[in-house]
Amino acid sequence: MNIEPAIANRIVKNVLVSLLIYALPIVLMFLSFYLSGERPWKKNSNSAVNSQNEKTIQP
Amino acid sequence: MIKFIEAIFQNLSTWGLPVLVLIVGVIEFALGLYKKHWNRNEIILDIVCYTVPKIVVRPFVAYFGLKFLPYALPGLREAFSWIPFWWGFLIIAVFDDLTQYWYHRLHHEIPFLWRFHRTHHSAPYMGMAMASRQNVIYTIFFSQTYLTTTLVYLGLGYPALFVKGIKSLITTAAHSSIPWDKPFYKIKWLNPIAWVLERLISTPATHHAHHAASNDDGIGHYKGNFGNMFFVWDIIFGTGIITRKYPAAYGLKYYQGEEWYAQFLWPILKSKKEGSELSANGPMVSDEVILKELPKEDSDLKESTAPSLNLT
Repeated sequence: MNIEPAIANRIVKNVLVSLLIYALPIVLMFLSFYLSGERPWKKNSNSAVNSQNEKTIQP
Repeated sequence: MIKFIEAIFQNLSTWGLPVLVLIVGVIEFALGLYKKHWNRNEIILDIVCYTVPKIVVRPFVAYFGLKFLPYALPGLREAFSWIPFWWGFLIIAVFDDLTQYWYHRLHHEIPFLWRFHRTHHSAPYMGMAMASRQNVIYTIFFSQTYLTTTLVYLGLGYPALFVKGIKSLITTAAHSSIPWDKPFYKIKWLNPIAWVLERLISTPATHHAHHAASNDDGIGHYKGNFGNMFFVWDIIFGTGIITRKYPAAYGLKYYQGEEWYAQFLWPILKSKKEGSELSANGPMVSDEVILKELPKEDSDLKESTAPSLNLT
């Protein structure tokens, strides 16, 4: 039993729209960072480096 | 306050939800909401589906998260933990629920996949008893589980805790035989909230329509309303129907009360019921066979004759 062509076409179209929906929150997030000037990934890597330094300084 | 909310969601993700489901299920049973449909075969199937995945599937997912992902994605553990909470929340909510929408929809629209999902629709009642009712293969390959586990590995574990908690409450409530959404339709000043609510998330009215035995009353919509946490996917893709009413009957019109083991373990174990979708030589989709057996000019008749085709 095969899938009806009309249903198959609708699935393909909807999957393409879904790919845009998946990307949307990520695109919006980076847009908000761009507008606000925030760089949270830098803060995170700095704190990681700092904590690494603290660990090496400690006897 | 945040610690308190955090504790609620942490407990919900471990013992909280199963206990909540059990309590609501007992209330539903005591109120007679399962009517006379909950026979021995259905009881065993519902209990097996409620308990076995917790013992079998959870360790499988834990292995995927703790062993497979560090092997497949070395060095990426917590790589995206810098993502702010609310963005992480939105990403997890969209990724998890849209993936589940597709997993669910494809099991309805691709004939080959239907029998893996059939068990969830065979129950002639709605409620906590059937909320976890799934074929074990369908449960093991729950695609969004692995996607969300991967996102947790990548550093979105904290927002995932809240999304998963909220999602499980919404989906469980949508399956409940307690129509919590009814007051939103009846009380006039709550109507605008209902309008937003029923388009945003799954409600008993929209999800019960998905479990209807028939579409001919204009309420049932078993070939649509696929949304789990969010109903908005059905709005976007045109697969949803909102009526604010509840179907008169649930389940499959051609249900033969197949053995619980066949429903849980098909295709490993098959049904002995002749002509069943779960039998060795059964049709892939009985619904389609019924439609094809009727001449074209009688296609309007098919829905009105449906009850007589019920083989139970």
